[in-house]
Amino acid sequence: MKWTKFLLGLPLAVSAVALMAVTGAEAAGKIVTVVLSEEPDVIDPCESTRSNVGRIVKQNITETLTFIDPKTAKISAKLATGWKQTGDLTWQISLRKGVKFHDGSDFNAASAKKAIERTLNPKSDCEIRLKMFGNVKMSVKVVDDYTIDISTVKTQPILPTMLGTMTITGPNMQPLKGDRNPVGTGPYKFVKWVPGQEVVTTRFDGYWGAKPEAEGARYIFRKESAVRAAMVKAGEADIAPNIALQDATDKKMDFGYFNSETTRLRIDMSQKPLDDIRIRQAMNYAIDRDALIGSIFSEDVVNMTNLVVPSIPGHNPALKVWPYDLAKAKKLVAEAKADGVDVGKEIVMLGRLGIYPNATEAMEAMHAMLSEAGLNVKLKMVEVSQWVDIFTKPFAQDRGPVLQQGQHDNNNGDPVFSVFFKYGCEGPQSTTCDKQVDAGITKASATAAGPARDKVWQDVFARLHELVVDVQMFHMIGYSRVNPRINFTPSISTNSEVHIAEVKFN
Amino acid sequence: MGTYLIRRAFHSFLSLAGLLILVFFLARLTGDPTNLYLPLDATLEARQEFTEKHGFNDPIYVQFGRYLVQLAQGDLGDSLMKARPAIDVVLEAFWVTLSLAAVVIPIALIGSVVVGALAAYKPGGAFDRIGTIAALLGASAPDFWVAITGIIIFSLTLGWLPTSGYEGHLVYWIMPVTVLLIRPFGLLVQVARGSMLSVFSSAFVKTARAKGVKERSVIFIHALRNAMLPVITVAGDQAAGILNGAVIVETIFGWPGVGKLMIDSIFNRDFAVLQTSILVTAVAIFTVNIAIDIAYAFLDPRIRHN
Repeated sequence: MKWTKFLLGLPLAVSAVALMAVTGAEAAGKIVTVVLSEEPDVIDPCESTRSNVGRIVKQNITETLTFIDPKTAKISAKLATGWKQTGDLTWQISLRKGVKFHDGSDFNAASAKKAIERTLNPKSDCEIRLKMFGNVKMSVKVVDDYTIDISTVKTQPILPTMLGTMTITGPNMQPLKGDRNPVGTGPYKFVKWVPGQEVVTTRFDGYWGAKPEAEGARYIFRKESAVRAAMVKAGEADIAPNIALQDATDKKMDFGYFNSETTRLRIDMSQKPLDDIRIRQAMNYAIDRDALIGSIFSEDVVNMTNLVVPSIPGHNPALKVWPYDLAKAKKLVAEAKADGVDVGKEIVMLGRLGIYPNATEAMEAMHAMLSEAGLNVKLKMVEVSQWVDIFTKPFAQDRGPVLQQGQHDNNNGDPVFSVFFKYGCEGPQSTTCDKQVDAGITKASATAAGPARDKVWQDVFARLHELVVDVQMFHMIGYSRVNPRINFTPSISTNSEVHIAEVKFN
Repeated sequence: MGTYLIRRAFHSFLSLAGLLILVFFLARLTGDPTNLYLPLDATLEARQEFTEKHGFNDPIYVQFGRYLVQLAQGDLGDSLMKARPAIDVVLEAFWVTLSLAAVVIPIALIGSVVVGALAAYKPGGAFDRIGTIAALLGASAPDFWVAITGIIIFSLTLGWLPTSGYEGHLVYWIMPVTVLLIRPFGLLVQVARGSMLSVFSSAFVKTARAKGVKERSVIFIHALRNAMLPVITVAGDQAAGILNGAVIVETIFGWPGVGKLMIDSIFNRDFAVLQTSILVTAVAIFTVNIAIDIAYAFLDPRIRHN
């Protein structure tokens, strides 16, 4: 009898203790609560080109030397107040005076040099170095307290734009990537990171710029989009920067914005029958994009004609959207077949699970459309690791013809961050090799920012369009939900940055 | 009992060793995770450097040997994702899941025993019918749907409860615990009911009634103790399932538990975290199994003597 009572009572006691075991707190007032889809695994600013890090860190905790305007893609002063090219291989950067880091140390030429070298240290696998400066060899020299010279091995005419991605960290941070206490010059300083729960920042009273209204920010993490949307609706969060299309149902709280992502099917032009331009053209004619818009894709997506979005200088507005013409598609396939092209060869449509909302459904729809045009396509959906293995060089020798679902984002102000990698002969994800394209990339890369450079890029995009390197799809739209108690308008950069200093309270 | 526990622990250790070896090799069959950790635009040289730095290009038996040496030194490796010791990452997450399990299982156990016992007391009666239907619904309801529906009703519509979050206040626990409770509760009610029905028809219960023992004592002292064995077996199985990580509840309600961590580590090929989380949950499950054995022994003296 005693044991029975004990065994019944013990679990209740355990439950009671467990319920009392943890503590927590709620944010309120002028603290902005941002609910993100994923917790960052690291919070080092040199990883801030990754969206789950950038949304917390970039232009909040750390700032960049220049600032890329999300609307115009033009650069303006930030921690650098001026820049001039003093030689083919050297840029001189003037630094802002009177700026302090959150730990009280001074921002000057020495700390700027240290921060740049920290990011570019080959012993760290900093995302900024690998993504933006992978092929750029550069060195920094202190000229005086507020001037540095940056010298490169090859001419870099848009170095100031590239410096819009270079976050400047405090000189006392650990030298290699992995510091869990980011220090910068931004309007908010890091307070704490409770793994799995939240990251908290507070307004930095020593900030050099205008004092922001928000007193701080709290970042929490919910994988499920419906929950993120519900949190804002219930008043538990202020901004959900990224919610799914099907959850963006409240016209007062939900905002659609170009999220700088462009989706396409990459055509492996080196493999038969994809090496025949008629097949590539047929594929584009066979896709009924209007049918996809408003059903599988948001009604707000825009048809793609260039890999970069229209706001990026170099985007060619003269290129036309591929019309849907099934009859023409079939005719092109028939012509190719009559010329001995093996149109019956199986083409693998390789999709990536979850690359964007309804990714699988989109591939299924396009599979049906391409089949209708007379092509032998087989759909295969894989998860990210397998997808990346196939998407990047070295490609398997026996891979066969593949149409690979892809999505690319570029809100960094210039096509140079996209075109070489995707279409250059040596590009790590390129299945294209065209001398004219390569020559254009080389010429554009060496041309100073401005109309001349834009023209070269436009010619490159025109050539890519002529070659039919992709099955072109859409410039994508992201959706954010914003609590009516604040005034915040998402922009193209919201996909990767959320500037808390821009938040005003209603 | 002591000898038995030692023997049990040894067998558990052997199972654990086998499991770790299996997981080690199966995980590495998925290939080199370098491409997951570097941006798409990283150069080939950068990829090769990363691969070499982490030893992914070594033959698998070399990687396994290195793992064994580290394991012998108590080093479970560093998380590739989080750049921290894997054991720290896993224990933080495991505590969350453990606290959830520690609340859910006792409530499920006690509640199901009471409901099952009362249902079995008058089979076919109103309570039995309602209880059985509710139990079946609970055992069949998909967690994901229940969770989202709960948020819509109790958070968005009624405003009674928060949508999600792992916080200290009781209100943050109500929905996750309820969602996680429904299926084991439903299952355990059916087991308890069946077991009690079987015991009610046994000779010693008839004898107790014939002797004039109070009905409450007949149910909750004489019958229940004998009916508990299958209930505890199933409860242990359910506890093991929760300790593995209540992935759906953790994902929807934003609880940073070990289930979600394991799924993320699989997708991200974070081998150290995957292996460590399996190690930790396996140890926990073995502990639960041993606790069940001990509970058996206390409930049934025949088992104790054997």
